[in-house]
Amino acid sequence: MSLDFFKSMNISASGLTAQRARIDVIASNIANAESTRSPEGGPYRRKTVVFSEMLENIMNPSQAGLENLSGVRIDSIEGDQRPFRMEYDPSHADADEEGYVKYPNVYVLREMVDLIDAQRAYEANVSAMNITKSFADAALRIGRS
Amino acid sequence: MAGIYNSSFDFLGKAMDSTVLRHKVISQNIANVDTPGYKRREVLFEDFLASAMGNPEKLPLKITDSKHISNIPTELNQVDPKVVQIEDTSITNDGNNVDVDRENAIMSENGIRYLTLTRLMEINVSNYNTVLRGFK
Repeated sequence: MSLDFFKSMNISASGLTAQRARIDVIASNIANAESTRSPEGGPYRRKTVVFSEMLENIMNPSQAGLENLSGVRIDSIEGDQRPFRMEYDPSHADADEEGYVKYPNVYVLREMVDLIDAQRAYEANVSAMNITKSFADAALRIGRS
Repeated sequence: MAGIYNSSFDFLGKAMDSTVLRHKVISQNIANVDTPGYKRREVLFEDFLASAMGNPEKLPLKITDSKHISNIPTELNQVDPKVVQIEDTSITNDGNNVDVDRENAIMSENGIRYLTLTRLMEINVSNYNTVLRGFK
Protein backbone atom coordinates (compact mmCIF):
# COMPACT_ATOMS: atom_id res chain seq x y z
CA MET A 1 0.00 0.00 0.00
CA SER A 2 2.90 2.31 0.70
CA LEU A 3 3.61 2.19 -3.03
CA ASP A 4 0.40 4.15 -3.45
CA PHE A 5 2.31 7.32 -2.63
CA PHE A 6 4.55 6.76 -5.63
CA LYS A 7 1.59 5.75 -7.76
CA SER A 8 -0.17 9.00 -6.88
CA MET A 9 3.01 10.86 -7.81
CA ASN A 10 3.23 9.01 -11.12
CA ILE A 11 -0.42 9.77 -11.87
CA SER A 12 0.10 13.49 -11.21
CA ALA A 13 3.33 13.40 -13.22
CA SER A 14 1.50 11.87 -16.19
CA GLY A 15 -1.05 14.70 -15.88
CA LEU A 16 1.77 17.25 -15.92
CA THR A 17 3.33 15.64 -19.00
CA ALA A 18 -0.02 15.59 -20.78
CA GLN A 19 -0.81 19.23 -20.03
CA ARG A 20 2.69 20.30 -21.00
CA ALA A 21 2.30 18.51 -24.35
CA ARG A 22 -0.98 20.37 -24.78
CA ILE A 23 0.74 23.68 -24.03
CA ASP A 24 3.47 22.79 -26.58
CA VAL A 25 0.81 22.14 -29.23
CA ILE A 26 -0.97 25.42 -28.41
CA ALA A 27 2.36 27.26 -28.66
CA SER A 28 2.93 25.64 -32.05
CA ASN A 29 -0.55 26.69 -33.20
CA ILE A 30 0.02 30.30 -32.14
CA ALA A 31 3.51 30.38 -33.66
CA ASN A 32 2.14 29.08 -36.96
CA ALA A 33 -1.00 31.20 -37.05
CA GLU A 34 0.23 32.84 -40.27
CA SER A 35 2.20 29.98 -41.86
CA THR A 36 0.93 29.47 -45.38
CA ARG A 37 3.29 26.58 -46.11
CA SER A 38 3.74 23.29 -44.24
CA PRO A 39 5.56 19.96 -44.81
CA GLU A 40 2.28 18.19 -45.70
CA GLY A 41 1.54 20.89 -48.31
CA GLY A 42 -0.89 23.79 -48.03
CA PRO A 43 -1.12 26.04 -44.99
CA TYR A 44 -0.46 24.91 -41.43
CA ARG A 45 -3.36 22.95 -40.00
CA ARG A 46 -4.35 23.57 -36.36
CA LYS A 47 -3.34 20.66 -34.10
CA THR A 48 -5.22 19.31 -31.11
CA VAL A 49 -4.13 16.78 -28.49
CA VAL A 50 -6.38 13.85 -27.62
CA PHE A 51 -5.84 12.27 -24.21
CA SER A 52 -6.86 8.84 -23.03
CA GLU A 53 -6.96 7.26 -19.61
CA MET A 54 -4.15 4.90 -18.69
CA LEU A 55 -4.73 1.81 -16.56
CA GLU A 56 -2.24 -0.75 -15.35
CA ASN A 57 -2.32 -4.23 -16.84
CA ILE A 58 -3.18 -2.73 -20.17
CA MET A 59 -1.82 -5.93 -21.77
CA ASN A 60 -4.66 -7.74 -20.12
CA PRO A 61 -7.64 -5.37 -20.05
CA SER A 62 -9.86 -7.89 -18.25
CA GLN A 63 -7.69 -7.47 -15.15
CA ALA A 64 -7.54 -3.70 -15.35
CA GLY A 65 -9.99 -2.75 -12.64
CA LEU A 66 -10.94 0.60 -11.23
CA GLU A 67 -8.16 0.35 -8.67
CA ASN A 68 -5.31 -0.04 -11.17
CA LEU A 69 -5.15 3.63 -11.97
CA SER A 70 -2.05 5.02 -13.61
CA GLY A 71 -2.92 8.44 -14.97
CA VAL A 72 -3.35 9.79 -18.45
CA ARG A 73 -1.51 9.45 -21.74
CA ILE A 74 -1.44 11.30 -25.02
CA ASP A 75 -3.48 9.23 -27.43
CA SER A 76 -2.78 11.23 -30.55
CA ILE A 77 -2.14 14.67 -31.97
CA GLU A 78 -4.68 15.35 -34.67
CA GLY A 79 -5.24 18.00 -37.28
CA ASP A 80 -8.30 20.22 -37.00
CA GLN A 81 -10.43 19.49 -40.11
CA ARG A 82 -12.22 22.84 -40.19
CA PRO A 83 -11.73 24.90 -43.38
CA PHE A 84 -8.79 27.26 -43.78
CA ARG A 85 -9.16 31.01 -43.41
CA MET A 86 -9.39 32.73 -46.86
CA GLU A 87 -8.03 36.25 -47.18
CA TYR A 88 -7.82 38.45 -50.27
CA ASP A 89 -4.20 39.51 -50.80
CA PRO A 90 -3.05 39.30 -54.47
CA SER A 91 0.45 40.49 -53.52
CA HIS A 92 1.09 37.38 -51.41
CA ALA A 93 3.39 34.73 -52.91
CA ASP A 94 0.87 31.95 -52.09
CA ALA A 95 -2.18 33.72 -53.55
CA ASP A 96 -4.29 31.66 -56.01
CA GLU A 97 -5.41 32.92 -59.46
CA GLU A 98 -8.23 34.94 -57.91
CA GLY A 99 -5.91 36.57 -55.37
CA TYR A 100 -7.03 34.64 -52.30
CA VAL A 101 -4.53 33.25 -49.75
CA LYS A 102 -5.32 30.23 -47.58
CA TYR A 103 -4.25 30.96 -44.02
CA PRO A 104 -4.17 28.35 -41.20
CA ASN A 105 -7.44 27.55 -39.39
CA VAL A 106 -5.91 28.91 -36.17
CA TYR A 107 -7.73 31.56 -34.13
CA VAL A 108 -5.31 33.05 -31.64
CA LEU A 109 -8.01 34.10 -29.15
CA ARG A 110 -9.30 30.54 -29.00
CA GLU A 111 -5.75 29.27 -28.47
CA MET A 112 -5.27 31.69 -25.56
CA VAL A 113 -8.42 30.36 -23.90
CA ASP A 114 -7.14 26.80 -24.35
CA LEU A 115 -3.81 27.90 -22.94
CA ILE A 116 -5.42 29.18 -19.73
CA ASP A 117 -7.39 25.93 -19.46
CA ALA A 118 -4.18 23.89 -19.82
CA GLN A 119 -2.39 26.09 -17.28
CA ARG A 120 -5.16 25.60 -14.69
CA ALA A 121 -5.14 21.85 -15.25
CA TYR A 122 -1.34 21.85 -14.87
CA GLU A 123 -1.63 23.74 -11.57
CA ALA A 124 -4.26 21.31 -10.31
CA ASN A 125 -1.86 18.43 -10.95
CA VAL A 126 0.91 20.31 -9.14
CA SER A 127 -1.26 20.82 -6.07
CA ALA A 128 -2.22 17.13 -6.10
CA MET A 129 1.46 16.26 -6.15
CA ASN A 130 2.23 18.65 -3.28
CA ILE A 131 -0.46 17.01 -1.17
CA THR A 132 1.05 13.58 -1.95
CA LYS A 133 4.36 14.88 -0.61
CA SER A 134 2.73 16.16 2.58
CA PHE A 135 1.13 12.71 3.01
CA ALA A 136 4.49 11.01 2.78
CA ASP A 137 5.98 13.51 5.24
CA ALA A 138 3.17 12.92 7.73
CA ALA A 139 3.51 9.15 7.43
CA LEU A 140 7.25 9.33 8.05
CA ARG A 141 6.72 11.38 11.21
CA ILE A 142 4.84 8.51 12.87
CA GLY A 143 6.90 7.00 15.66
CA ARG A 144 9.68 9.53 15.43
CA SER A 145 8.91 11.48 18.59
CA MET B 1 -3.84 -4.76 25.70
CA ALA B 2 -4.64 -6.88 22.69
CA GLY B 3 -7.87 -4.96 22.38
CA ILE B 4 -6.09 -1.62 22.19
CA TYR B 5 -3.65 -2.97 19.64
CA ASN B 6 -6.35 -4.35 17.37
CA SER B 7 -8.71 -1.42 17.45
CA SER B 8 -6.17 1.39 17.13
CA PHE B 9 -3.38 0.19 14.89
CA ASP B 10 -5.32 -2.00 12.48
CA PHE B 11 -8.18 0.36 12.33
CA LEU B 12 -6.21 3.57 11.90
CA GLY B 13 -4.02 1.81 9.35
CA LYS B 14 -7.08 0.80 7.39
CA ALA B 15 -8.49 4.31 7.50
CA MET B 16 -5.10 5.71 6.35
CA ASP B 17 -4.96 3.20 3.49
CA SER B 18 -8.41 4.21 2.31
CA THR B 19 -7.44 7.90 2.49
CA VAL B 20 -4.31 7.29 0.42
CA LEU B 21 -6.40 5.32 -2.08
CA ARG B 22 -8.85 8.21 -2.29
CA HIS B 23 -6.00 10.62 -2.90
CA LYS B 24 -4.76 8.39 -5.72
CA VAL B 25 -8.23 8.29 -7.25
CA ILE B 26 -8.57 12.09 -7.05
CA SER B 27 -5.12 12.44 -8.67
CA GLN B 28 -6.37 10.20 -11.45
CA ASN B 29 -9.51 12.33 -11.86
CA ILE B 30 -7.44 15.52 -12.04
CA ALA B 31 -4.94 13.99 -14.48
CA ASN B 32 -7.85 13.00 -16.74
CA VAL B 33 -9.65 16.33 -16.66
CA ASP B 34 -9.34 16.65 -20.46
CA THR B 35 -9.77 13.00 -21.43
CA PRO B 36 -12.84 12.57 -23.65
CA GLY B 37 -15.43 10.26 -22.11
CA TYR B 38 -13.62 9.89 -18.80
CA LYS B 39 -15.94 9.42 -15.83
CA ARG B 40 -14.82 10.42 -12.36
CA ARG B 41 -14.22 7.86 -9.63
CA GLU B 42 -14.95 7.97 -5.95
CA VAL B 43 -13.81 5.92 -3.00
CA LEU B 44 -16.50 4.63 -0.66
CA PHE B 45 -15.29 3.80 2.79
CA GLU B 46 -16.83 5.91 5.57
CA ASP B 47 -20.36 4.69 4.87
CA PHE B 48 -19.23 1.06 5.06
CA LEU B 49 -17.45 1.88 8.28
CA ALA B 50 -20.55 3.52 9.74
CA SER B 51 -22.52 0.38 8.86
CA ALA B 52 -19.96 -1.85 10.53
CA MET B 53 -20.01 0.35 13.61
CA GLY B 54 -23.74 -0.09 13.94
CA ASN B 55 -25.21 2.90 12.10
CA PRO B 56 -26.34 1.23 8.89
CA GLU B 57 -27.35 3.54 6.06
CA LYS B 58 -29.18 0.66 4.42
CA LEU B 59 -31.39 -1.91 6.04
CA PRO B 60 -29.45 -4.94 7.24
CA LEU B 61 -30.61 -8.39 6.14
CA LYS B 62 -32.02 -10.39 8.98
CA ILE B 63 -29.68 -13.19 10.00
CA THR B 64 -31.41 -16.11 11.70
CA ASP B 65 -28.90 -18.82 10.84
CA SER B 66 -25.11 -18.97 10.93
CA LYS B 67 -25.08 -19.79 7.18
CA HIS B 68 -26.89 -16.61 6.21
CA ILE B 69 -24.91 -13.93 4.45
CA SER B 70 -24.88 -10.40 5.79
CA ASN B 71 -25.25 -7.48 3.36
CA ILE B 72 -23.26 -5.16 5.63
CA PRO B 73 -19.83 -5.82 7.10
CA THR B 74 -20.22 -6.97 10.67
CA GLU B 75 -16.62 -6.59 11.79
CA LEU B 76 -14.38 -3.60 11.44
CA ASN B 77 -11.57 -5.53 9.77
CA GLN B 78 -13.95 -6.67 7.01
CA VAL B 79 -14.47 -3.08 5.91
CA ASP B 80 -12.61 -2.39 2.68
CA PRO B 81 -12.64 0.76 0.58
CA LYS B 82 -14.29 0.43 -2.81
CA VAL B 83 -13.69 2.46 -5.96
CA VAL B 84 -16.82 3.33 -7.90
CA GLN B 85 -17.31 5.15 -11.18
CA ILE B 86 -19.87 7.98 -11.35
CA GLU B 87 -21.46 7.45 -14.77
CA ASP B 88 -24.61 9.51 -14.70
CA THR B 89 -23.32 13.06 -15.03
CA SER B 90 -21.48 15.06 -17.67
CA ILE B 91 -20.16 18.59 -17.44
CA THR B 92 -18.52 19.02 -20.84
CA ASN B 93 -19.52 18.12 -24.39
CA ASP B 94 -16.99 15.30 -24.60
CA GLY B 95 -18.74 13.31 -21.86
CA ASN B 96 -16.17 14.07 -19.19
CA ASN B 97 -17.57 14.77 -15.73
CA VAL B 98 -14.49 15.92 -13.80
CA ASP B 99 -14.89 19.30 -12.10
CA VAL B 100 -11.39 20.38 -11.05
CA ASP B 101 -12.62 22.75 -8.33
CA ARG B 102 -14.71 20.05 -6.76
CA GLU B 103 -11.84 17.55 -6.94
CA ASN B 104 -9.60 20.14 -5.27
CA ALA B 105 -12.08 20.61 -2.44
CA ILE B 106 -12.39 16.86 -1.89
CA MET B 107 -8.61 16.55 -2.07
CA SER B 108 -8.11 19.18 0.66
CA GLU B 109 -10.70 17.56 2.88
CA ASN B 110 -9.08 14.19 2.35
CA GLY B 111 -5.66 15.68 3.15
CA ILE B 112 -6.89 17.01 6.48
CA ARG B 113 -8.40 13.60 7.22
CA TYR B 114 -5.07 11.94 6.51
CA LEU B 115 -3.12 14.38 8.70
CA THR B 116 -5.60 13.77 11.52
CA LEU B 117 -5.19 10.02 11.19
CA THR B 118 -1.39 10.21 11.19
CA ARG B 119 -1.56 12.46 14.27
CA LEU B 120 -3.73 9.88 16.02
CA MET B 121 -1.25 7.20 15.01
CA GLU B 122 1.60 9.27 16.47
CA ILE B 123 -0.28 9.63 19.75
CA ASN B 124 -0.88 5.90 19.74
CA VAL B 125 2.80 5.16 19.27
CA SER B 126 3.82 7.66 21.96
CA ASN B 127 1.38 5.99 24.36
CA TYR B 128 3.22 2.73 23.77
CA ASN B 129 6.53 4.49 24.35
CA THR B 130 5.24 5.82 27.65
CA VAL B 131 4.30 2.32 28.76
CA LEU B 132 7.53 0.72 27.56
CA ARG B 133 9.88 3.30 29.02
CA GLY B 134 8.03 3.76 32.25
CA PHE B 135 6.59 7.03 33.42
CA LYS B 136 9.32 9.49 34.31
